[in-house]
Amino acid sequence: MKAAPFAYVRPPTLDDVLAELAGGDGKVLAGGQSLVPVLAMRLGRPATLVDVTAVPELGEHGPDGRSGYRVGASVRQRVVEHDPAAQDVPLVSMAMPFVGHRELRSRGTVCGSLAHADPAAELPAVACCLDAQVEVAGPGGTRTVAAQEFVTGAMSTTAGPEDVVTAVTFPTAGPGDGFGFAEIARRHGDFALAGVVCRVHVTEAGAVDAAALTGFGISDRAVTRDVTALLAAGESEDDLRPATTELAAAIVDTGGDTHGSTGYRRRLFAVLAARELSRALHRAREGRTTR
Amino acid sequence: MTAVPDSPARRDTGSRRVPAPAARIAAHESAEVTFTVNGTETTVEVSPRMHLGDVLRERLGLTGTHLGCEHGVCGMCTVLLDGEAARACLLFAVQCEGAEIVTVEGLGTPDDQHPLQQAFSAHHALQCGFCTPGMLMSSYDLLANAPEAAAENLPEAMSGVLCRCTGYRGILAAVSDVAESYPDGVPEPRGCAPRMLVGRTSPGAGTAAEEAGTAAPQLTEVRLPTGPPSAVVDVTSQLASPVDRVWGVLTDFDLLARCLPGAQLVESYDEDRHRGRATVALGPVKLSFEGLAQVVERDPDAHRLRFHGQGRDTGGSATAADVVLHASPTADGGTELSAHADVHLSGRVAQFGRALAGDVSRRLFEQFAAGVDEAAETGSVSEVPLGRRLRLAAGAARDAAIGAVRRTAHRLRDRARRGSTG
Repeated sequence: MKAAPFAYVRPPTLDDVLAELAGGDGKVLAGGQSLVPVLAMRLGRPATLVDVTAVPELGEHGPDGRSGYRVGASVRQRVVEHDPAAQDVPLVSMAMPFVGHRELRSRGTVCGSLAHADPAAELPAVACCLDAQVEVAGPGGTRTVAAQEFVTGAMSTTAGPEDVVTAVTFPTAGPGDGFGFAEIARRHGDFALAGVVCRVHVTEAGAVDAAALTGFGISDRAVTRDVTALLAAGESEDDLRPATTELAAAIVDTGGDTHGSTGYRRRLFAVLAARELSRALHRAREGRTTR
Repeated sequence: MTAVPDSPARRDTGSRRVPAPAARIAAHESAEVTFTVNGTETTVEVSPRMHLGDVLRERLGLTGTHLGCEHGVCGMCTVLLDGEAARACLLFAVQCEGAEIVTVEGLGTPDDQHPLQQAFSAHHALQCGFCTPGMLMSSYDLLANAPEAAAENLPEAMSGVLCRCTGYRGILAAVSDVAESYPDGVPEPRGCAPRMLVGRTSPGAGTAAEEAGTAAPQLTEVRLPTGPPSAVVDVTSQLASPVDRVWGVLTDFDLLARCLPGAQLVESYDEDRHRGRATVALGPVKLSFEGLAQVVERDPDAHRLRFHGQGRDTGGSATAADVVLHASPTADGGTELSAHADVHLSGRVAQFGRALAGDVSRRLFEQFAAGVDEAAETGSVSEVPLGRRLRLAAGAARDAAIGAVRRTAHRLRDRARRGSTG
């Protein structure tokens, strides 16, 4: 399990990073916790690894001053996990303990997880559910892409081989927001067989005016649906189950494997979705009443 | 590294190290990387694709870090990187410039084990031992940085390292025990005193140099390691020769070298610095050391000689010793020769373990003492046939060698007796 030979460079500025990536045979290295196994198994053989950790601004994280929490490309997952300011994005805090293991989060980056875009990964699902904004720098300049548009398929994104993800901004939670997160994996830290992320927003009167549900590990990417209407069915898990079962049939299209068939994953999704939507709704209403 | 003015995001990397930029290293080239391992700063020359686990094991002789899957699944290679557990197989050494690394060797020493190591022992938390370094480093990280996770759900918190001996219960009991014993935080690693780190500079470099007929750059000064020695040897031998003649041998480095079986003086730089070669054969094990000995203290009145020796072999083993030889007259006109040596071993030879290393070193000194006695008496040392050189691998061979030493001692004693009566 040794990587094929590659050149290595750790440029001092973002411009230098882009210059190294020009030509398209380089690959961005930040934490490497998804990339290095790919190299070790020789599933990937990039000519050059461009380490972005020496670029100072890519190591920044914190509130962006516009009700967002911004995380730079080289910020480790563990840093975000222990950052009090990240508590303003409850879904990130809820999902983080499930991202790999402690030993991987100490090196793995939030942006790296998005850029790798594993269909069963937690952070891309959270980003999609929250409508996080991904910043991408490339030869044509910088652009900001909504997370759902950023991920285009299994391990595929709109970031090209000459681009680098520079940051992601998650919207922080406000009054009336409630969240839910759950996944089923064979072992803690493994990629999920199925998982759900959801957010619900209620008005001051307690009426649901926005709700989104994202499933992961159930298709070639995280799949997000507006479920505002679905929540009209009620607020208990049992009330919601018929609707989530119907939703599962529509969006769970993974072929399944030895660890779980398509049908099993549909059932996981339906149960988890109903449970977490119910929880998120309660949390959203509690937040209103306790204010 | 100033904050970007138009970015509202605060610059917050905590106490985290921002690595310095590094120039491009081509795929088949190598570059020097400097980092700290267990308290010792070290520089290694590596190619970009060499991961930290291989560097620790092959270049630095720190084989406590085990490699299992080498793609980030099993957790065997877990080390502390800047105080946090990380997989050494998922880190290229070139990424580690300026990093602080602690391996299981740095967690504790055989004489001063870390509480986690003691607890693993007490709870039978290891069977084959393969996962143990990873488990120890992972649990240290957990208890040092996230003790609340240990209290909430220990099995999940420890799920990053696999054990295939069904040893989880003992492991969890050990970690839980330490967590309860140290509610305010687990003690710091205990084995991070500066020490000698030795390995090969690059794979095949030694052989390439040999083939080309150009030896590696020669040592001219002995640098003695400062860490705890691998073995301490204290040997006292009774010699028949009078003390002045013994001292005469000790101060004649050429003669002195020949008293040690397998040793050979190659070159003397001056009175105090000598280059030599020594071979040791232990059963199938054959080590050939090239090295330097440097006299650091010479007291003719007290008959005391202290020298430092340092050598390395082509297979990646290294040895260093701080040796004090002291000759004192005995009532019967003979000499008591005592030797005290702090022996430092690293690389492959260190894997013999302290007991065997100590035994072998002790036996070498006994043979050496016999040689000194012979030299003091006759002015020269008979060439020890290669076949009779130290062979101590196991049982019969060891007994044979001890027998040979005893026979030599008897012969010398008989000769001394004859000398005194005749």
